[in-house]
Amino acid sequence: MQSGQIPILRIGTTLLASIQVELRDTSAQAFQQDVLKAIEKSRSRGLIIDITGLDMVDTFVARILTDTGRMAKLMGTETVLVGMRPEVAATLVRMGFSMQGVYTALNVDEGLALLAQLQSSQARD
Amino acid sequence: MTSTLEYMNKLGFTEQELASRHAYFQLTGEDLARLAGLRSFAERHNDEIVEAFYQDLLLKHSESRLFFTDQAALHRAMTAQKRYFLELFSGVADLNYMENRLRVGTTHQRIGVAPKWYLGAYAHYLRLISERLFGDMGYSAESQQAIRSIQKIIFFDMAIAIETYIAAGLDSLARHQAAIRELSTPVIQLYERVLLLPLIGTIDTARAMQVMESVLMRVVEKQAKVIILDIAGVPVVDTRVANHLLQTTEAVRLLGASTVLTGISPQVAQTMVQLGVDLAKMYTRASLEEGLELALSLTGRCIRPKEG
Repeated sequence: MQSGQIPILRIGTTLLASIQVELRDTSAQAFQQDVLKAIEKSRSRGLIIDITGLDMVDTFVARILTDTGRMAKLMGTETVLVGMRPEVAATLVRMGFSMQGVYTALNVDEGLALLAQLQSSQARD
Repeated sequence: MTSTLEYMNKLGFTEQELASRHAYFQLTGEDLARLAGLRSFAERHNDEIVEAFYQDLLLKHSESRLFFTDQAALHRAMTAQKRYFLELFSGVADLNYMENRLRVGTTHQRIGVAPKWYLGAYAHYLRLISERLFGDMGYSAESQQAIRSIQKIIFFDMAIAIETYIAAGLDSLARHQAAIRELSTPVIQLYERVLLLPLIGTIDTARAMQVMESVLMRVVEKQAKVIILDIAGVPVVDTRVANHLLQTTEAVRLLGASTVLTGISPQVAQTMVQLGVDLAKMYTRASLEEGLELALSLTGRCIRPKEG
């Protein structure tokens, strides 16, 4: 998959990427590139990755998503992963891959609320 | 309710199986032709045999009499019986025939005719028919052969019926197991976005996986923010159980919700620490009451005494 296939929307200082197609190794890497470029360009503070559309997430893709969150953090943007399906969560945990260090939320709405909370607590520090 | 076709598949009734059965029961084309040749004999005696069958056997027994509650039911059963017996002399024993016999098995199983009734009745029927046969044809080589062919088709029949009994029994067992499985993970909605799963009884790996699955399903379904796992009713919490609980907590976190573990007794706390299980990542509370308070505070609510 070429880069630019997963649209990344900007809402204020938040970026929203909704993954609706199955992520393969190369498309996952392209997605990571796109996200980081978008962060650089938009000076965002928060990123929401919606994976409601993913039936399957292997450890490679899970690692890419986790890493993307860490990279974004280095660039000043907090990442929240939202909408993971029960089967996906169960499989990842059974494989011993629990995406440590990534914020999660049930849906986009909750993700936005969590970002707002994170940003206000950071502002206080 | 499992359909006849599903049973055919379940029991593996195929052309190949049919051929193997014909060979095993030594039910040859010759036998089938002989049975077809006895059709007029069967038609001649059918009414009388079925009448005797009901009067002498089924209606004399207090237990089997219970199957025929009224005259209409009795009449229906007798008509079916007559058709059923005549089919023995159709000269065909193909897949269609097997399906027919299978339906008899499932019907008997459903209305609660035990195999003993079925087998006993068949033995009686065989006796009635051989009396008539020897009466008509005398003790000849021909009548001996006829009896042998009839025996073969009857045993061929009984095998199918008994297998159907067993399959239907296993079916209902599977349904019960599913019901028990469901009962063993009752996820309850305590409050808006707060779920409770009281765990009672031993947790093995199979149950732990099922607990995880239903917890995750319900969290997403109800969009719950917190799920309380109460383990007060779990007799033994060892490293394995603790790991299952940790895994469930991790998975719940991946969905974007939190887990609160409650009902931790002093013994459980002691074992956990002695075993070196790290529950620091989980929210834990001694009682369900405290767990509920924590869960509510995680959803931005609290319980307060009424003012005034």
